[in-house]
Amino acid sequence: MTLSHYATLIDTMARLSLKADASRYFFGYVWWVLEPLLYVLVFYVVFELILQNRKEDFVVFLMCGQLAFVWFSKSLNQASRSILGSKGLVGRVDIPKSLFPLATIQEGLYKQAAVFLLLFVVLFAKGYTPSLVWGWLLPVMLVNYLLIVACSLFAAYLVCWVFDFHVFISMATIFLMFTSGVFWDPRDLDPAMTYWVLTLNPLAFLLDAYRQIMLAGVAPNAVHLAIVGGVALLAALAGLFLLRRHSRFIALRVITS
Amino acid sequence: MLELVGVSHHYMARKSSFDHGLHHVLDNVSLRVMPGDTLGIVGRNGAGKTTMLRLMAGIIEPRQGLIRRRAGASCALLSLGLGFQDSLSGRDNALLSAMLQGVSKRDALASLDEIREFTELGDSFEEPVKTYSSGMRARLGFASGLLTRVDILLIDEVLSVGDAQFRDKALGAMQQRLGGEQTVVFVSHAEGQLKALCDRAVWIEQGQLRAEGAPEEVIARYRQPGGGSARRP
Repeated sequence: MTLSHYATLIDTMARLSLKADASRYFFGYVWWVLEPLLYVLVFYVVFELILQNRKEDFVVFLMCGQLAFVWFSKSLNQASRSILGSKGLVGRVDIPKSLFPLATIQEGLYKQAAVFLLLFVVLFAKGYTPSLVWGWLLPVMLVNYLLIVACSLFAAYLVCWVFDFHVFISMATIFLMFTSGVFWDPRDLDPAMTYWVLTLNPLAFLLDAYRQIMLAGVAPNAVHLAIVGGVALLAALAGLFLLRRHSRFIALRVITS
Repeated sequence: MLELVGVSHHYMARKSSFDHGLHHVLDNVSLRVMPGDTLGIVGRNGAGKTTMLRLMAGIIEPRQGLIRRRAGASCALLSLGLGFQDSLSGRDNALLSAMLQGVSKRDALASLDEIREFTELGDSFEEPVKTYSSGMRARLGFASGLLTRVDILLIDEVLSVGDAQFRDKALGAMQQRLGGEQTVVFVSHAEGQLKALCDRAVWIEQGQLRAEGAPEEVIARYRQPGGGSARRP
């Protein structure tokens, strides 16, 4: 399979899946914007109305972190089950197994474009105006994407190998939600703790980078971003290699699961 | 074109927690398929026929033995209903199916009208596959598989369903392809079809090759008392 055919297949699978998904719901594509809007509404009710959070523009702060985090967690959870969920195809054609997680991630990427657009509209309405620093959003999103790909490829492999791993993956995303500074600001912690949270957890670093760029107008640490991106890229390549090398073993596990 | 040398296969499937459950499927099977051959496979349900096709297609690997395929030979496995996305239309499924078989998107899109015509599904071709009956699924599966040009066609029971009119049409299309260079391995319980289409047949029983030869002879041995079809599990 040539690289261009592989890429076209991922894109086609993602688009067809989006189409099928939209046809299942009465509101169809409207859900792309409706779902993140409902998230925001929930945050608003909980944090502004009930808890009366005193942090300035807390809903905007929350959106920057939560919407990027949901992109990561949803893609990871869906991609990790994507090979196993395509039992019919896996048992019928000898195809690269990485197609399934990558198509799922691609589908998430298209939806995320709508989510980021909504975020920009809200930020604009709240008086945040884009500046040159916002150009940093592109590399941050790219690293975020690479991190999703790397984690998803390994997760998809592990779930095919031993199905029990999917429980572990759901637990891990909940753990990450609480430790990545979605609801709280790592910069409010003790400086030593801030350092450790942002250094040890690449997701916390990325969420912080989104906020720094869009809310504070400050560029993220370029070296840190490059290191996270480089490691994620290497891990993604290793994941592709693993799925390629064990393609038939995976097929057997999926068929007989 | 395709050769199996001493192929054995088993796999693990759990019956309960903390169990491995070894299942033997094939036991030391050797056979050879020449270019242009049409090989029929008969055997009871669960004898290992589908596994054998999957091994031939390179979807899974044998635990022991070797499978040699001519370098660069493309292979397609046609099986019933599996591999369709239920909420997608017949057209989208046919597109995906062809692309997964290695056909470029442009060629796949170009072949869709031909597939639609062959299936005779009419407007249902644009409807989601979840609304299809099993006969309609078989039509879609057969048409999208057959119209994709591959060197080795592996057919698993696809011709056993569908109404008589479509079966005849599918059989006719098969025979047309068989006249050419097409290499086919054909699993079926329809003995008439096997006799009509195949040059050679094998009988598989409990993972072992029991008989090989002319379709009439092999089917006669399979049918005789004490043969596979008479035995009750």
